[in-house]
Amino acid sequence: MEQRLANSWRMTVNEKNFIQTALLSDLRTDGRGPFDYRNLTIQFGSEDGSSEVQLGQTRIMGFVTSQLVQPYRDRPNEGTLAIFTEFSPMADPSFEVGRPGESAVELGRIVDRGLRESRAIDTESLCVVAGKWVWSIRIDLHILDNGGNLVDAANIAALAALLTFRRPECTLGGEDGQEVIIHPPEVREPLALIVHHLPIAVTFAFIGNESRVIIDPSHFEEAVMGGKLTATLNTNGDICAIQKAGGEGVMQSVVMQCLRIASVKAADVTGKIKKAVESYKTIRDLKNIKRHPDSVDINNISKDMEKSKLELEKTIDSQTNDMEIESHSSKKDESSWRHSKHKAVIGRPSSWDPYTKVADADELKATLASRAVATPDLKTDVMSHEKQELNVLVDTLRDADPSPLLLVAAEAREEKNKAKTLLDAVKPKHKRKKKNLSNSNGS
Amino acid sequence: MDIERAGGRGANQLRPIDCFRDVLSRAHGSASCSQGETRVLAAVFGPKAGTKKNENPEKACIEVIWKPKTGQIGKTEKELEMILKRTLQNICLLSVHPNTTTSIIVQVVHDDGSLLPCAIHATCAALVDAGIPLKSLAVSLCCCLTESGQILLDPSKLEEQKMKAFVCLVFPSSVNSVLPEESTPATTKSTEQEIITSLTHGVMTVDDYFHCVEQGRAAVAPLSNILKKKMRSQSAGNAVK
Repeated sequence: MEQRLANSWRMTVNEKNFIQTALLSDLRTDGRGPFDYRNLTIQFGSEDGSSEVQLGQTRIMGFVTSQLVQPYRDRPNEGTLAIFTEFSPMADPSFEVGRPGESAVELGRIVDRGLRESRAIDTESLCVVAGKWVWSIRIDLHILDNGGNLVDAANIAALAALLTFRRPECTLGGEDGQEVIIHPPEVREPLALIVHHLPIAVTFAFIGNESRVIIDPSHFEEAVMGGKLTATLNTNGDICAIQKAGGEGVMQSVVMQCLRIASVKAADVTGKIKKAVESYKTIRDLKNIKRHPDSVDINNISKDMEKSKLELEKTIDSQTNDMEIESHSSKKDESSWRHSKHKAVIGRPSSWDPYTKVADADELKATLASRAVATPDLKTDVMSHEKQELNVLVDTLRDADPSPLLLVAAEAREEKNKAKTLLDAVKPKHKRKKKNLSNSNGS
Repeated sequence: MDIERAGGRGANQLRPIDCFRDVLSRAHGSASCSQGETRVLAAVFGPKAGTKKNENPEKACIEVIWKPKTGQIGKTEKELEMILKRTLQNICLLSVHPNTTTSIIVQVVHDDGSLLPCAIHATCAALVDAGIPLKSLAVSLCCCLTESGQILLDPSKLEEQKMKAFVCLVFPSSVNSVLPEESTPATTKSTEQEIITSLTHGVMTVDDYFHCVEQGRAAVAPLSNILKKKMRSQSAGNAVK
């Protein structure tokens, strides 16, 4: 028992007085104004539906996954949304494993109310077979670092993950039309969730005897505050939820002022989230067209037709997962590959390496000459040289994609010629930490 | 008869390893390690006062908490916690802080094969960041065995699922001694021959297992150099901060 007390962190009286006195002159310990948010960065992981949000020192990760389940009895045509918050002991020594504490439950409830009851996520579109099968969306929020104001950051993490999540497409099939077939991402492009609006949570802390209001309290300010108010609202001017659970009483006028400030901040944060999601989407689309670096304009013209093929490519890459540009490594010796300039990019699908296939150029010409148009075939030929394990996928590609494009074949020829000249100028952008142990292997 | 690996990797090639220390502000020590697409975040709190009931109060106690990416904590997580705990008990100097508990929390960010080796590297880096006294660092490697009997190092998730068997090995990292070279060849050989942890899945013959161990041992020196370089380069950056 004494050990727990010895290990817990307590605020000293000096620190408390310092924070309160500084606030009397509208100063905060980290130099912010009373209504300034901390620096917000939103990053995305390699999978769809994973986000990492950093608000000052607070770090939260969000993961979204989906599953087909039976719907609730009273709502047979709606999908379900579940939020799981994990207050990891990593974030704060006072968090314990096992049953979530009060603050964890409160956080989960605030985020849940903001998303579910305001109908931000369209649950009716998640229905597959009414009364039998619906999609259940599960949001896992991992609190990594508690720097204060977990609610706001967790909300942003959940929204960012939901906006970038893609669920697999499924169709009804089978003998009686009741069987649900889930299509893997390489066959059919996964679909995004329908999000009507973005509910943003803004937290206010009341500190001191005069109940000074500050926004986005840091960890130290949270330890000193007398009361807290969280307002969840969207840019349409709707208030989705307000949470003020006890604490010091505040005047009505103060609450109204808080709501007004919150609507301004919500617009700001919404803009940041949308910008981050947009740039993630462009990066993801760029990844799809990375094999054709000088054909961006062609892709824009025929974007819709290309899109399905690009998704196929992208998902193939994400499947193999550690190779962006192939090189003829399988055909060269390991020793010669070590010295070769044309190193494959390993482990970083987000790095942008121009097309480095030179040795393949002749093979490409041969395949192009032999086949009339066949775009997907071209791509599959290119890949089948390198990856034998993709043979199964290649067949499904051919079946699924019947419409070849002359344009893309032409551009492939162009860039293949260009590849020879670009090669000498190419420098590997990232250091490759490859250890070639064939020497030490003693073979 | 070479199996082609995705990304054109050779059978003996590992994915690029990256290691960052001091990523969290509240934890006493933290590190994030990535091997290819696999990413693991580790945080260390400690030493805290007191040990748990059944633990020996003459020594420091190590507590590991493994957090998966999604889903509830089940038996696999408990098993991994136990493996990590016993591995770390070997490399930590437990008698320096008796009657204390050091908590290590491991969070899986993305799993693309070789999860346990990545977790061990992250944990070692986090322990270094926290200043917990260690005997040596641990270096870990995953080897898998194909149907044709070929051994591949550092498999990705897809490769792991297709393989006949795979084994995860943990070795103490090579020690850079300050003593002159001539006096240490015997001792360095003996430390490199230790295997701290070995975890196998699937069926393999005894010969295959020893081949895997040989491959793993050959990788210890280059891997430990890389990890130490990563940790050293970061500390220079921290000094500038």
